[in-house]
Amino acid sequence: MPEPLTTEPPALDGPVPAELVAIAERHGQVVAAGDHAATLADFRPDRTGQLLGSARLPGRLVSSRLLRLRAEPDGLVAAFIRYTAADGSQTVLRSRWIKLDQGWRVTQVRNVPDTPPVIAAAGPRDDGLDRPHWEGLRAGEVRVQRCAPCGHWIWAPQPLCPRCHSFDLTWPAVDPAGTIYSWTRTWQPFSPELSGHLPFVVVLAELPAAGGRRLLGVLRDGDGADVRVGQAVRGFIDLAPSPDAWPVLRWSLS
Amino acid sequence: MSRSLRGAAAVAGIGSTPYYKRGTSPHSALRLILEAILAACADAGLDAHDVDGFVSYANDLNEGLAVGAALGVREVRWSTMVWGGGGGGVAAAVNAAAAAVACGQAENVIVYRGITEADDGRQSYGKGHFPPLLSAHGVLTPVQVCALRTQRMLEVDGVPWSALEALVQASYYHAQRNPDAVGYGRPLDHETYAGSRWVSEPLRLFDCSRENDGAAAVLVTSAERARELRSVPAFVLSGVQGAGPGWSESAENNASYTSAGFHPAMVARLWAEAGLKPGEVDVVQVYENFSGPAVASLIDLGLCPPGAEAGSFMTVPNLVAPDGALPVNTAGGNIAEGFVHGIGLVLEAVRQIRGTSASQVPGADVSLLLGGPVAPLVSATVFGSAVTV
Repeated sequence: MPEPLTTEPPALDGPVPAELVAIAERHGQVVAAGDHAATLADFRPDRTGQLLGSARLPGRLVSSRLLRLRAEPDGLVAAFIRYTAADGSQTVLRSRWIKLDQGWRVTQVRNVPDTPPVIAAAGPRDDGLDRPHWEGLRAGEVRVQRCAPCGHWIWAPQPLCPRCHSFDLTWPAVDPAGTIYSWTRTWQPFSPELSGHLPFVVVLAELPAAGGRRLLGVLRDGDGADVRVGQAVRGFIDLAPSPDAWPVLRWSLS
Repeated sequence: MSRSLRGAAAVAGIGSTPYYKRGTSPHSALRLILEAILAACADAGLDAHDVDGFVSYANDLNEGLAVGAALGVREVRWSTMVWGGGGGGVAAAVNAAAAAVACGQAENVIVYRGITEADDGRQSYGKGHFPPLLSAHGVLTPVQVCALRTQRMLEVDGVPWSALEALVQASYYHAQRNPDAVGYGRPLDHETYAGSRWVSEPLRLFDCSRENDGAAAVLVTSAERARELRSVPAFVLSGVQGAGPGWSESAENNASYTSAGFHPAMVARLWAEAGLKPGEVDVVQVYENFSGPAVASLIDLGLCPPGAEAGSFMTVPNLVAPDGALPVNTAGGNIAEGFVHGIGLVLEAVRQIRGTSASQVPGADVSLLLGGPVAPLVSATVFGSAVTV
């Protein structure tokens, strides 16, 4: 169903310049109308490719509605625009606007709420070396490779223990509690699979229960998170999106 | 019996194609490689039919044997692919050629690398290095791995952000003096650098190398033969390659995580064989996939102090020719000259010994090449002028 032509005005949080209401409403309308040229004209010119690839909208949009404008640090203003597709599904994008010499332009855009990217390549590598880890996730456990005779923790998995050369390797479940060893917030749409989830934070977490081995994972609720090395994180397992896909380890600030 | 590489071999010829914007090369990668080899041989004054060895790295699509067949060489005596680590193999490839020449396995060895997007695809440099334990978490590209390492270097080691920018600014400064650089005529100011879009924090657009179509080659031959050829030889004083303990493909479990991978024993071997100390290097070409790992390389090599003090050394005046304490990437490097997996850095390291760089360091006698920071394999070569051998 299209939005009614007359709607209540958007909520305004903080000192939002009045002219932005009409600008953001018009932006929503040109996006919903599929007017590519007009959409691009609203983007900050040095990052149109990144902006186009960051957000994901369904095809065949029928309407848009500016829900909210929020004043943010450094003179930016966030616009929350809800798009309705022909099938009735609704998607909210948050665009951040910056005042340039040529006027207000979109400098960031993302889908809200934030969700981690789902990558089709998730799952065991072709040679199966890491298969027990993935099967552990299916069983609700985080399993890390360990040498049975000498107790050495091994990550990434190997065919034999690099320390004692035993092939007798085990896969104990470990408590997925650790600290952030490093992190990065990725903005660039390197793959279509990332679109709709950018930016997202990847955490490298050090696990005391696995001998200090470090495991990667996307940080849940990373949008706007003030991430620092040393923060405590806890692992969660995101269920597989389909029966033939694999679950994935995520981190959450604890 | 001597087991040293020192002074046994030299680069006697260099050649390259232009740096094309990625995807715009008018020719295949093989054709570009052949153009570069012919140019390198012409530079040396050598008949290209006399080439008898080929070395490349990073799984170049065009095997040395195929290249040799296309050139119609009389004989192939040496054919080597350096395993692992993308651009980390660039100096290792020079070292392999020098080793072949030093022990008489071949006489005229070409080191080459060629890439076109049409032949190699997008981001060919990352292929095979992103297994599911990385890719499942959205870590699909080298910049994300380098961002993770750089973030810890900044946040924990205390290397200031300004060190990264100084490296980038020096690269652009030199590119303004090199008409062959992609960044020529495009000076970079602080506002543009700092206002550019994030790629993967803490790395912004201008912290990243480019991606170009192109090819380059160098001719490595014996020191004696190099002296007889047309161009000024750049002698190989030492070379190292490898991966230290706990390093290499490990899903980000590398020991010395904020290192570039030049572990202490490797660095000690480099200086010992060359008979030099870090302070005696006149000019450096440091592989910068991204700014942060290049800074880590300079720290590993003892050329730049670690931690917060890196900021006082890594300043634009210190890093630019002709008067800086340690000019780096004097043609603009991967960031501002162009990127064909770092092979361009070899040519510039040689130009500095010849005295022909567009940003020449006066009287440069010792020129250092560093390959592939943060890659599974890293490598280095020290080149010297005739007075050093």
